[in-house]
Amino acid sequence: MREDGRHFLQGPRLDAFSKVTGRERYAADEYPGEFLWAGAKRAFVPHARLLAVHTDRAAAHPGVVRVLTSLDIAGSNRLGIVRNHQPVLVDETIRHAGDAVALVVAESRETLREALELVTFDHEPLPGVFDPEQALKEGVPRIHGDNEEGNLMRAVRVRRGDPDGAFRGCDVVVEGVFETPRQEHACLETEAGWARVDEAGVLVVVASTQTPYRDRKEIAAALGLDVNRVRVIAPYLGGAFGGKDGITVQCLVGLAALSAGGVSVKMWWDRRESFLASMKRLPARMHYRLGAKKDGTFEALSCRLYYDAGPYAGLAGEIMAMGVEHAGSAYRIPNVNIEGYCVYTNNALGGPFRGFGVPQSTAGMEQVVDMAAEKLGMDPLELRRVNALGTGDRNCVGVELKYSTGFSECVDRLADHPLWKEREAWKASAPPWKKRGCGVGCMAHAIGYPALIPDEANARVELTESGTIRVYSGVSDMGQGNAGTYLRIAGEILNQDPATMEVIQPDTDHGLPSGTSSASRTTYTFGNAVIRAARSLKEVILRSGARCLEVEDIDSLELVPGAVRIKGSGRKAALRDVAALIDAVDRSCKGYFRTPYDESTLGIMYLGAHVLFSFGAHLARIEVDTLTGRIDVVDYVAVTDAGRVLNRAQYDQQVQGSIAQGIGYALMEDYVMKDGRHETGDLATYIIPTSLDVPDMVSIAVETDETTGPFGMKGIGEVVISGCVPAIANAFHDACGVRITRVPLTPERVLSALAGQGGKE
Amino acid sequence: MADVHVPSSLDEVFRLLSDEPSATLFAGGTDVMVRSSPDMRERGPFLCLERVEELRGIHGSATEVRIGAATTLSEVIASPVIADLFPLLREALRHVGAPAVRNMGTLGGNICTASPAGDSLPPLYILGAEVELRSLKGRRRMPIDAFITGPGRTQLEEGEVLCAVVIGKEQGFNFHHFEKVGQRKAMAISVASLAFGAETRRDGTIVKARCAFGSVAPTVFTSRLLNDTFAGNTLNTAVLDRAVAIIREGVSPISDIRASMEYRRQVAGNLVMRLEGAGKDR
Ligand SMILES: Cc1cc2nc3c(=O)[nH]c(=O)nc-3n(C[C@H](O)[C@H](O)[C@H](O)COP(=O)(O)OP(=O)(O)OC[C@H]3O[C@@H](n4cnc5c(N)ncnc54)[C@H](O)[C@@H]3O)c2cc1C
Repeated sequence: MREDGRHFLQGPRLDAFSKVTGRERYAADEYPGEFLWAGAKRAFVPHARLLAVHTDRAAAHPGVVRVLTSLDIAGSNRLGIVRNHQPVLVDETIRHAGDAVALVVAESRETLREALELVTFDHEPLPGVFDPEQALKEGVPRIHGDNEEGNLMRAVRVRRGDPDGAFRGCDVVVEGVFETPRQEHACLETEAGWARVDEAGVLVVVASTQTPYRDRKEIAAALGLDVNRVRVIAPYLGGAFGGKDGITVQCLVGLAALSAGGVSVKMWWDRRESFLASMKRLPARMHYRLGAKKDGTFEALSCRLYYDAGPYAGLAGEIMAMGVEHAGSAYRIPNVNIEGYCVYTNNALGGPFRGFGVPQSTAGMEQVVDMAAEKLGMDPLELRRVNALGTGDRNCVGVELKYSTGFSECVDRLADHPLWKEREAWKASAPPWKKRGCGVGCMAHAIGYPALIPDEANARVELTESGTIRVYSGVSDMGQGNAGTYLRIAGEILNQDPATMEVIQPDTDHGLPSGTSSASRTTYTFGNAVIRAARSLKEVILRSGARCLEVEDIDSLELVPGAVRIKGSGRKAALRDVAALIDAVDRSCKGYFRTPYDESTLGIMYLGAHVLFSFGAHLARIEVDTLTGRIDVVDYVAVTDAGRVLNRAQYDQQVQGSIAQGIGYALMEDYVMKDGRHETGDLATYIIPTSLDVPDMVSIAVETDETTGPFGMKGIGEVVISGCVPAIANAFHDACGVRITRVPLTPERVLSALAGQGGKE
Repeated sequence: MADVHVPSSLDEVFRLLSDEPSATLFAGGTDVMVRSSPDMRERGPFLCLERVEELRGIHGSATEVRIGAATTLSEVIASPVIADLFPLLREALRHVGAPAVRNMGTLGGNICTASPAGDSLPPLYILGAEVELRSLKGRRRMPIDAFITGPGRTQLEEGEVLCAVVIGKEQGFNFHHFEKVGQRKAMAISVASLAFGAETRRDGTIVKARCAFGSVAPTVFTSRLLNDTFAGNTLNTAVLDRAVAIIREGVSPISDIRASMEYRRQVAGNLVMRLEGAGKDR
């Protein structure tokens, strides 16, 4: 128990037992009675005009129920959030290898597999576009003929002060071009779901999704249904990381269900289909230039960021915009010129992935900061401290920081850590053939949506007839454990043991629209709404308790686990009895919250900017093997300001998971595409870290008290991942004196960088 | 659905094999199951070896150790006999996949897959291992380097089963070294590997040495010239430089998604550099 009595927030994850015993069921685990299987015929060509789809042979195959094409879709057959131009089933143009051209519904998985091979299609190949900078040149084929700006999906530019003049006045200017790879989410549970048209004619879709409310609208529009005839349910997800922030199986399985006469239809992508058809983190190429005064003060930043979106808009433009907004990391820089370009290509779909565009630009910025430190002859942490954003400062896009800003303290805590302070001795004792290096990487990460998009949550907390507290979650739990946290928060307010409470996973029929499980908002935004709902419910319960216990003044009452009690006396009324005295409608209370925003930022950039941030400072200690080029991350320290820690275990899990994913991003993960073909299409060739590749990690929390956050917290889900690439890349430079500007730092790249330096030693 | 047979004796295996010559032998299945995934379509019938007692276990005679083909990699690793006599083999097997794969995968399976990246192969070459093959026609024995003829190719004939691997007890090595380079620390397919065994004097002078490399040629790369380079010398820079040149000249690696030919060639040479100064009395 903490001094402040917040004991219901602490303790092991409430879903831990059901997860490790396999009792918890993901969408993929459901076999809904008598059901059919649906599967998509994938294009496997990156760019082509679709001339005809031949379905007769498949349709005649025994066990096949239906073969559907775009002609069977009554709605717009278009998906999209900002731009609606991604076909559910291709009608005219194939734009990437994973596009679906037909949908087969069959009685068994084997039949489905056979039938998919019998579907054929005629196409006329079109020249493909695979390099984002090339894609912007004159005369390059257009991926969307109707896009006025050729293959440029979106550009975002932010200019402040007088960057050109400021650069001229700088004592030190450093520049570099940095590249980050395409990263695959590689979730435990691949994309899955099932659907059925119920007795009332409503299309019910149960899917592994981070975005049930948004999906509902997209499904309705694409399939031509009234939105009230669509219901989406999101059970616990077996991982998502942004990869299920939007439509995967939902429309396909929905379309299949519409022609299945009330029978359920299931779809479950296998790993290869998942890799082929799912979104990836956008690869980026970033041109960075940073200028500073002799004393280290940053004066000017200029950068051009190219993000490869793949063929459809999805959220790619918004991801790039986040990259732009965080292009200056966590520093004061008065003069900036930041340009971001999000470009269509015929590569894999680009989409959200933990960090949402920020890991890319942070990788560029934090490396160029280290280059500046070297040129200035300054300690890299000292240079960061000198320029660190604090409350009242303006960040690189010009937003004044009015909320908790614990970045300087993160830097100070890292500078104080023995693994940093004793680094020289450690480096000097490297064994034969090894070089050791220490690198830092810092970062900021915005919480919630940008100003133009209302970041709202509506929670509902109920006292059931039987006296149980039930929380209706509006935000999917993709594995981060937010559902349990909602119970803890409600339990804290209502003084009830969360283990005795119930959580209902998002269901567009029960819950209220509360946005997506993303943007480091799931606990911050919805948790605030839960607090408000729980407070209202507390009042309702106490009032009814007063009637039960025949007292006048509700201030003389308190909630205790399972009951209302008269303070200082033993007299209590059980919650069940209390519930019996309340009207059903009044037993359920709502709470609303909107994340702070600032309308004046709307003029700064596309969608406006954010106002609330988490921060961090990282140290990676690495050992480079000069014979094989292999890098070992030996120690890792992450100091994070994500406000107050609600639950230490869950906080650290976010830190550790992010570091593991970040180490993969820095050292081995690279979803390789060649001419639109997927070269690393499975887990045998797409390499992610194992437990042996991840060191013991030190997680230090700088607990600023974010007064707008539930119990003082801010988002912890994404901020950490952005530090790993720069910390490790900077450590490599520290170890070997040479910089590899392109991650992952594979053994092969390392050896050739060392060779370029003159010899293997 | 594929047919799966689970015989409990070698005779039954042979009978089934003569009835269904196209049957696939299935030991731990860790290679077969990958090949029989929907994309790969190896459809059986399958003939499981795990209940065939004659194919399991580690047995010593006066001069030899016999490892049953269907002995799992974990069992080999756990065997005190192996740890005592062939620590190099044990060390190499510890680098295969991860515990779950080693608990299912067998030594015979690793050999019959004959992958250039098979981790048991370089040590078995160094140890002069022989394979024992049996069929209804009889029994034959041959050195492992003769048995493996190319990537995925062996001398195994229709109806024939690999029954055991036989290794002479007297190896004379007092120094061994194994290193595998993969894309990560576990669950990694070898990009290059080195197995090294030597008999050394107290001062580190090498009496005899044997080197074998994985993943840098269609089959395990060995070279008499290379082995001879070490004899009579310590593992000093001059000798190792000569060795590196022979290795880089001799290997014939391929480029694939895991590594380029150039990287493999370079690293194969570099791996022996790690031996510098080794082999002295410890
Ligand atoms: C995730 C994963 C990781 C892996 N990592 C590694 C690794 O790091 N290093 C490595 O070397 N390998 C690795 N492998 C490959 C595999 O695990 C090993 O090759 C293993 O030793 C194969 O043994 P098995 O018993 O499973 O073979 P099986 O799959 O049962 O058989 C393999 C082949 O040998 C044949 N065969 C098996 N036994 C006999 C016999 N007695 N007589 C005749 N033919 C026979 C089979 O018909 C088949 O063609 C990995 C595999 C997986 C799935």
